[in-house]
Amino acid sequence: MTAEPVTASIHIDAPPERVYEYFTRPEALVRWMGEYAVLEPEPGGQFTVDILGTPVRGRYLELDPPHGLLIAWGYAGAGRLPPGASIVEVRLTADGTGTRVDLEHRDLPPAQQPGHTAGWTHYLARLAGAAAETTEAAAPDPGMPQVQRLTHTVGNA
Amino acid sequence: MSEAAFHALAEPHRRRILRMLRDEPRSVNEIAGQFDISQQAVSQHLKVLNNAGLVAVSRQGQRRLYVVRPEGLGVLRDFLAEFWPARLERLKLAVEQDRSAEEDHDG
Repeated sequence: MTAEPVTASIHIDAPPERVYEYFTRPEALVRWMGEYAVLEPEPGGQFTVDILGTPVRGRYLELDPPHGLLIAWGYAGAGRLPPGASIVEVRLTADGTGTRVDLEHRDLPPAQQPGHTAGWTHYLARLAGAAAETTEAAAPDPGMPQVQRLTHTVGNA
Repeated sequence: MSEAAFHALAEPHRRRILRMLRDEPRSVNEIAGQFDISQQAVSQHLKVLNNAGLVAVSRQGQRRLYVVRPEGLGVLRDFLAEFWPARLERLKLAVEQDRSAEEDHDG
């Protein structure tokens, strides 16, 4: 049982070949998502990006340049959506001189699991804080001391 | 995540309060003891967090303890439903900016 997929679409005034690179080249990806990325754009290759301290961890599942790609998507330290647990599908369709981007994020867990809130409280607070500061180029993340702390109760239990 | 929750989390004191409550339930006094701001101000922040559904009050005997309300954080889906459209907007900006910069360069 999973939640309804999240979908989002946009038109970009550039050909699919160019838009595609923004999902596979680290320096292009961090122009729109995250501050740090390690990408291995091949089936099974890692998809690692830190977004304001939120560690997105997953893998490329399928690549079909420049038409689209399939990425397994999750978060390190997040019990609700562990690394690679959900699927992000990106479709790029030539549309005039530009590209239509259709994104679907699916296989999401149905609801908040009690007991797995800590990581998300941290992530959401960070993202909300960043959104409040500025919509463009948010400040780099100084680190993730809070996430380190989350593990201490587990070790002592 | 709802608009109210996002607004509530946009304030640094409220984020700090939420982090404190994440570790264990606390009373207003206990929370205020960790801040330089007045207890009244802390109460006000708790009210905003409460209205946003992020915290709840748990009564233990005479004590009123504030606890994190996990379902109030919104399901992950709500978060992503705001995340992806915003990211695609930035993708569009980045691609189109890079493109015009390159065209300027090419003459």
